[in-house]
Amino acid sequence: MNNTKAALKTAAPKQKKRKVVSLDRKKARSGWLFVLPFVIGFAIIYLPIVLDSIWLTFNSVRTVRQQGLQLTFIGLDNYKTALFEDANFVQTLTGGLRQLVIDIPAIVIFSLFIAVLLNQKMVGRAAFRAIFFIPVILATGLIAEIDAGNTVNQYMSGTSGIETGENIESSASQIISSADISMLFSNMSVGSGLVQTITDLVNDVYNIINRSGVQMLIFLAGLQSIDPAIYESCSIDGATSWETFWKITFPMISPMILVNTIYTVIDSFTSADNSVMNFISNYYNTTSMVVSSAMAWIYFVIVVAIVAIVSAILSAYIFYQRRD
Amino acid sequence: MTDNPIKVTKETKKKIRVEFERTSAWKKFKLKYLSLNFLGMTIFKIFRLVLLIGISYVILYPFFTKIASSFMSPTDFVDVTVMLIPKSPTLNTYKQIIIENHYFQALFNTLILSLICGVIQTFICCVIGYGFAKYHFKGSKLLFLCVVLTMIVPHQTIRYSMFMKFRYFDIGYFDFGILSLFGDKDGINLINTFIPLIMLSIFGLAFKNGLYIFMMRQFFKNVPDELEESAYIDGSGTFRTFMQIILPLSVPMMVTIFLFAFSWQWTDNFYTSTSMFFPGKSQVLLSKIVSIPRTLDTNYPGGNLFSAAIRNTCGLLIIAPLLVVYLFCQKFLVQGIERSGITG
Repeated sequence: MNNTKAALKTAAPKQKKRKVVSLDRKKARSGWLFVLPFVIGFAIIYLPIVLDSIWLTFNSVRTVRQQGLQLTFIGLDNYKTALFEDANFVQTLTGGLRQLVIDIPAIVIFSLFIAVLLNQKMVGRAAFRAIFFIPVILATGLIAEIDAGNTVNQYMSGTSGIETGENIESSASQIISSADISMLFSNMSVGSGLVQTITDLVNDVYNIINRSGVQMLIFLAGLQSIDPAIYESCSIDGATSWETFWKITFPMISPMILVNTIYTVIDSFTSADNSVMNFISNYYNTTSMVVSSAMAWIYFVIVVAIVAIVSAILSAYIFYQRRD
Repeated sequence: MTDNPIKVTKETKKKIRVEFERTSAWKKFKLKYLSLNFLGMTIFKIFRLVLLIGISYVILYPFFTKIASSFMSPTDFVDVTVMLIPKSPTLNTYKQIIIENHYFQALFNTLILSLICGVIQTFICCVIGYGFAKYHFKGSKLLFLCVVLTMIVPHQTIRYSMFMKFRYFDIGYFDFGILSLFGDKDGINLINTFIPLIMLSIFGLAFKNGLYIFMMRQFFKNVPDELEESAYIDGSGTFRTFMQIILPLSVPMMVTIFLFAFSWQWTDNFYTSTSMFFPGKSQVLLSKIVSIPRTLDTNYPGGNLFSAAIRNTCGLLIIAPLLVVYLFCQKFLVQGIERSGITG
């Protein structure tokens, strides 16, 4: 009697376990089936392209008539050319990275701010939302390219800058005069570097607004997913909205800040109006395609390092609300 | 008992009539509107409104100037007194661009390309995102890392290899003599066709598809498993469940992604440029119409402004159809993202 019971006891879990495994396997199989398009594409198209691109940077390329390209392995020479021989690359790179460091906090903070505003109940919220998301759809690719070399806009808005000093008179429609800001700050005797940074940011406001559309959407989604009951209990306890923002909204939205920071880095890094990318594209078209690939990979490695560092720092401060 | 505001005036068997001491209208008004809190709220609301209107102005202003300058005749650009409203409005710029740059042909071609790519990308990213969200199999984390990789390697970095891949297309080590059936030994030339872009879309590798897959995955993670489980119990298979239960659920999200895919393909200037998949004049696409028509003379003192205005007009013509799509879909944009709950 006891024996059979024990046997049953040992048999039953075994049987159950085997069944679980088979279901798992079945599920795994359908999982593979769902991601199959990506797997195939990655294996036969993407991976060869990426590997080929990396491999090219270790070679010198010569176009031979009727045979296509002739590759000769030259080791790290292309990288040496990019880093030590080309006069402009390192300068452009450091300039671009500095711009990245300034732009990213500006974009993330701006988009969070606007998302909080657009999340509040008010008259015309739908209209404002529609306007704010226009750049996501319209100010990309071709339009951004056209805008980049645009003289009409500058002429019309008279923001051709204080450096040239030409268009100051026609500033009837100017948004904000950067000369005023410089004046304000120079009276406060802060460093000229800070003044320059802030002036740049203000002059760049159109650019920043244009680039923070998707981030705004992501923040808005995050704000919507915060339980209203938390806010309710907060206001019952007598918290002001300032306190509510820093004690509730900010911690709850902090995972989004990480996502958005990474997205912003990647987006500005892959966008065509990025100065480094422009430089690389020009180099591709004019001088040497292999060296430009080497440059692009150097840039890529640096940006990935930045993403890694930023996400390591930020994820230490992130608050995750466990939902399960 | 005297300071009790409630007075019981009459007491019958059934009814008790109670009279409250009412606060006067003035007192109510004072309490409601003359408090510091109300003042703060009002100031905040005004500030918020001004700020939002200001930023909207910054966003919309370039469009106004572009529209204004597109109607200007060449002489308006020399005239200093003309700021925003043209003195001698003309439709000539539009006319010449539409005729000389083959606008409608480009529109038609781009519409077809964007529609095909948009629909395929939406569906494929939906499928892949579902696979990543609901199934945990060996290597799924690594695969997702690959998705992230495709997102962060800029396509400019690999443009040359990508071009070569589709110029001499083969499928590498998976080729078992299939492609030799098509004749060419060096692989098939797919340049100047829509096939490279469609192929990238089918495999979820096109522009920003990593982002769509990520968004879809987050969305499906929030869909409760019980839905599928009950469908399975009712005897529905995996794919039927996906098609009949999951897809209808995710319509707002799919509209969002379609909007992104469609419009980013529409304004794309990388893949459709001459140095990528469409060299030469064989395919007329919208990215090619940004040029100055020969009949418009820009060779005069204010000419550079005029040529910039022409380019802007091209831009306006490009985004005009997109704006219509946006106005219809923008409601879904917020809705879809809201429901995705891309939280953590």
